[in-house]
Amino acid sequence: MDVLQLGSYTFSSRLILGTGKFSNSRVMLEAVRASGAQLVTVALRRFNRQQAEDDLFGPLSSIEGITLMPNTSGASTAKEAIRAAHIARELSGSAFIKVEIHPNPQHLMPDPIETFEAARILAKEGFLVMPYIAADPVLAKRLEEVGCASVMPLGSAIGSGQGLAMSEMLNIIIRESGIPVIVDAGLRSPSEAAHAMEMGCEAVLVNSAVAAAGNPPEMAEAFAEAVAAGRKAFRAGLMQKSGSAVATSPLTSFLGTF
Amino acid sequence: MSQMITIELNGQQQPLPPGSTVNDLLAIVGSDGKSVAVLVNDRIIRPESRALHQLQEGNRVELLIFAGGG
Repeated sequence: MDVLQLGSYTFSSRLILGTGKFSNSRVMLEAVRASGAQLVTVALRRFNRQQAEDDLFGPLSSIEGITLMPNTSGASTAKEAIRAAHIARELSGSAFIKVEIHPNPQHLMPDPIETFEAARILAKEGFLVMPYIAADPVLAKRLEEVGCASVMPLGSAIGSGQGLAMSEMLNIIIRESGIPVIVDAGLRSPSEAAHAMEMGCEAVLVNSAVAAAGNPPEMAEAFAEAVAAGRKAFRAGLMQKSGSAVATSPLTSFLGTF
Repeated sequence: MSQMITIELNGQQQPLPPGSTVNDLLAIVGSDGKSVAVLVNDRIIRPESRALHQLQEGNRVELLIFAGGG
């Protein structure tokens, strides 16, 4: 069976869904169900007694087959991310941690140095580290060497919907990587997710594209189908490209032309 | 009645009856029954210790939950 392997965990779904930016929890939960996602990201926030319904642990845990992957968003240093990871593990009971360290809220680009440092320490502590990184093949390899469970390069800036703007670099990362490559951030449409999978990504992580869709549950389903189709196409093996036309029908022996 | 103590809860002042435990605090703020991570002075207080862990004047308490995020 074709499964996504992350540490000792296996997943039949290759779509990872983020839970941010949905209009409300009900729509988010419907989208999670429709997506068939088995790995779902959440963020750590202060409890606010005025917004007690914000707590997603209970509702998400009630969906069968879901593993939570907390992120460290809000952290701008390795130290803050490590602290967030320890707290998140306490809550989730899951070894997964999405290391996300972006010091600049304007462009949200991940800090490679702090991310590497946090990933190195957390991997040593036994976390399944899923670092969100720029599409940098050298950094991706270094993260593999320190024991990350995957690398998650961005397709384009978080929430930008600019798709696979970094596809050249993603191709190099995929070619070189010995651990799963998961495109995280920037995807807008299911066709882009299918494209990422055809390139050889092991999974994609989508949030804004689903949360900001006209009908989030329907879009979640569309992404699930696209990811499955892209994966199947990758496994089937795409034909070689050619610079010129190659006929699919015989060009000789046609009616009066023989 | 004895005087109240004051702790810092998620960055805000919070008065509490002396001798209050972490579980008492969770009940007061309405987060009992939810999955909440508790830190007292940066130390994680696990659920099994919360009934006995008494809060002291000036303790810095953080209550954290999982919210939506990508």
